[in-house]
Amino acid sequence: MTVHIDENLVQDDAGAVNCRHCDAALGVAQQPLRDARVRESDPRTAGPSVRADSGHFADRPVVLRQTFCPGCLTLLQSEIVPGDEPSGRTRSVVAR
Amino acid sequence: MPVIPVAGSEKFANLPTTPEETRRIVGDSVRLHDVDRSVVDALDPLTYEVVRHRLTSITEEMGEALKRMSGSVVVTDCNDFDAAIMDEVGDVVQVGLYNTELAASLDMAANWTLRNRCARPGIAPGDMFLCNDPWVGGGLHQNDTSLFAPLFVDGELFCWTGAVAHQVDLGGVSPGSWSVGATDVFWESLPTPPVKIVEGGEIRQDIEDVWLRRSRVPKLVALDLRAKIGANNVAHERLRALCDKYGADVVKAVMRRTMDDAEQRLRAKLREIPDGSWSSVAHQDSARSGDRGIYRIVLTLTKTDDRLVFDFTGTDPQVDGLINCTFAGLRGGIMPVLLTMVCGDIPWACGGIYRCIEIISEPGTINNCTFPAGIGKASVASGWATTNVATECLAGMLDTHPEHRKRLMSVCCGTWDFALLAGVDQRGGGFVTMLCDSMAGGLGARSDSDGVDTGGLACIPMGRVADVEMNEFAFPMLYLWRREEPDSGGPGRFRGGVGASSCFIPYDSPLGGVHLVVSAPGKALPLAGGLSGGLPAGTQHDVLVRNTDVHARFAAGRIPASLDELAGTTDLVPTHHETDLGAADVYYTHWQGGGGYGDPLRRDPAAVAADVAAHKVSPAGAGDVYGVVVDDRGAVDEDATTTRRAALRRSRAGLGAEEVPA
Repeated sequence: MTVHIDENLVQDDAGAVNCRHCDAALGVAQQPLRDARVRESDPRTAGPSVRADSGHFADRPVVLRQTFCPGCLTLLQSEIVPGDEPSGRTRSVVAR
Repeated sequence: MPVIPVAGSEKFANLPTTPEETRRIVGDSVRLHDVDRSVVDALDPLTYEVVRHRLTSITEEMGEALKRMSGSVVVTDCNDFDAAIMDEVGDVVQVGLYNTELAASLDMAANWTLRNRCARPGIAPGDMFLCNDPWVGGGLHQNDTSLFAPLFVDGELFCWTGAVAHQVDLGGVSPGSWSVGATDVFWESLPTPPVKIVEGGEIRQDIEDVWLRRSRVPKLVALDLRAKIGANNVAHERLRALCDKYGADVVKAVMRRTMDDAEQRLRAKLREIPDGSWSSVAHQDSARSGDRGIYRIVLTLTKTDDRLVFDFTGTDPQVDGLINCTFAGLRGGIMPVLLTMVCGDIPWACGGIYRCIEIISEPGTINNCTFPAGIGKASVASGWATTNVATECLAGMLDTHPEHRKRLMSVCCGTWDFALLAGVDQRGGGFVTMLCDSMAGGLGARSDSDGVDTGGLACIPMGRVADVEMNEFAFPMLYLWRREEPDSGGPGRFRGGVGASSCFIPYDSPLGGVHLVVSAPGKALPLAGGLSGGLPAGTQHDVLVRNTDVHARFAAGRIPASLDELAGTTDLVPTHHETDLGAADVYYTHWQGGGGYGDPLRRDPAAVAADVAAHKVSPAGAGDVYGVVVDDRGAVDEDATTTRRAALRRSRAGLGAEEVPA
């Protein structure tokens, strides 16, 4: 059964995950964003909503980590997190 | 000094207990009412619905009683309280629509009381028990003081009612009991395990004296105590009338079926949703004043058939500071999300809903801490961060279903922007108050619509923000402004609701100034995450401008509308801070909005232009994040927008103009 994992991801009944906008292959059920493009940048590139440099308040580096579809470059995941720890955001829908 | 385990504290390390085990422990100490399953099965639908809705309305009446008797703006104007009706062993049959975080563990407190107070001092008609020990339950931090009362019908303990409200000060090193320098609980308000403060319908003066002696504002806390007594009394009057009309067995049968109904309907909904697992992480910057660490709560939510497992493995160990929460706080982080996002069409009978979930958590972690870890900020620190991870994971789960995804919401507000004022008010009396302006946080974006701007906090459906005039009347302060802030909502195809800011000065205190306690994380990194590519909301931002010329500007007939208009020394305020504000000092506090949903480059350009016109998004934000160019008339420049979006799509992914995606 095809499952729309979210706004951008679709999973087929074999567990393959593709972009809903351009059909680019992105991963598999256990790792839906395995083949997506990840970029880290300064949090203030997220826009004017990040009011101050993180260095004023914390010693650890903070990054804007964004994940893109390699085909159409749609933004699939955004997080502003400590740059020294891997992303803790995952999802895995059971293929059936 | 490091936190040292305290022998004997394990007595209060409470965990939920089954009804069967509770009945075994209570034995003959208290006769517990029960109802035969056949009575539940024989309930006719009409009676069930009438009585069930009556129970719901009783929790609302409890809230009204609380508000009318309390003298605390936190309660009367901001609704930072809740009420619940529980069955004879403490399982929650109906929770009120106020601060659901506070009420999420009333069951644990009532049940602990039943097990530990049934023999000595005993539980009898007219008794009420007070508790502000979050290891026992009943609230998330010591300020959340609950008062729960057994209702006896025909000599049997028929049910419990409970009211819980934020008390503005219960002692501790810092005013408001918000000891920002705390390394453990001994800096904070003394946790009080359940104590019989009302006996046979009369307040025990000795116990009340012990209770009030710790507070900087004992008369206000005494009034709140009476407000909670009143709320329980109102509930008991109504429940007795209900039992007189329908019979105690029928009312209890409705309670049983309400919880069963909630359980079965939640299970049915879960079965419609694909199985899977969703993980998220919530960070908090700073555990106490002077600390520059970042701490995390990790959640993996696994949904299998009709069951949810919340696994917090990987969460950081408890820390020397005030941001930890107990297991009651962890539950208080989960239940509000389940209620508002998953159970909107299901009775809010937590006793049934809890049957569908399992919680895996290691004691000694920041959202399941052991005594004597500091918990003074638990409700809006690790409790709230737990809400944030639960929100992201449950929203991810709902997003897989074409119908249920309409109920999801990104994280709202991210945390509580805590600013506390204390000192001498304009009438010459001592005062302490938590400023509740951030009750107007931005709600998270949904899968089909923007988040509500300054819409409130998802965990407090009936939360309110006090009028500026009420705060100025009640406390020695004068606002320069309170207003929505552009760009504070998380960008996305659907934008998160914007947050807001307040800017004020001390005013008319005989002392000239006031004392200020700040505890507001989200400054190093935003705490309201986005979904499906949507960006987080803005960061928390607090600024203190010392020795301004604000009074000269007032004298000239001008109210400053921005910090740039003020002379003085400007400082960014750290996450945790305590200081005095002088008469010419200006404090600016800007709380967070809601997270976005979807790629902001997929947002309708006309919606972005409307946001710019309404000052929800700045022109810079429109261009830099949404790739929308708005002309001088406020209309979308279609060609420029197409060009801008094409360039932005590549540049934000780190690609040059001609580079081919890998």
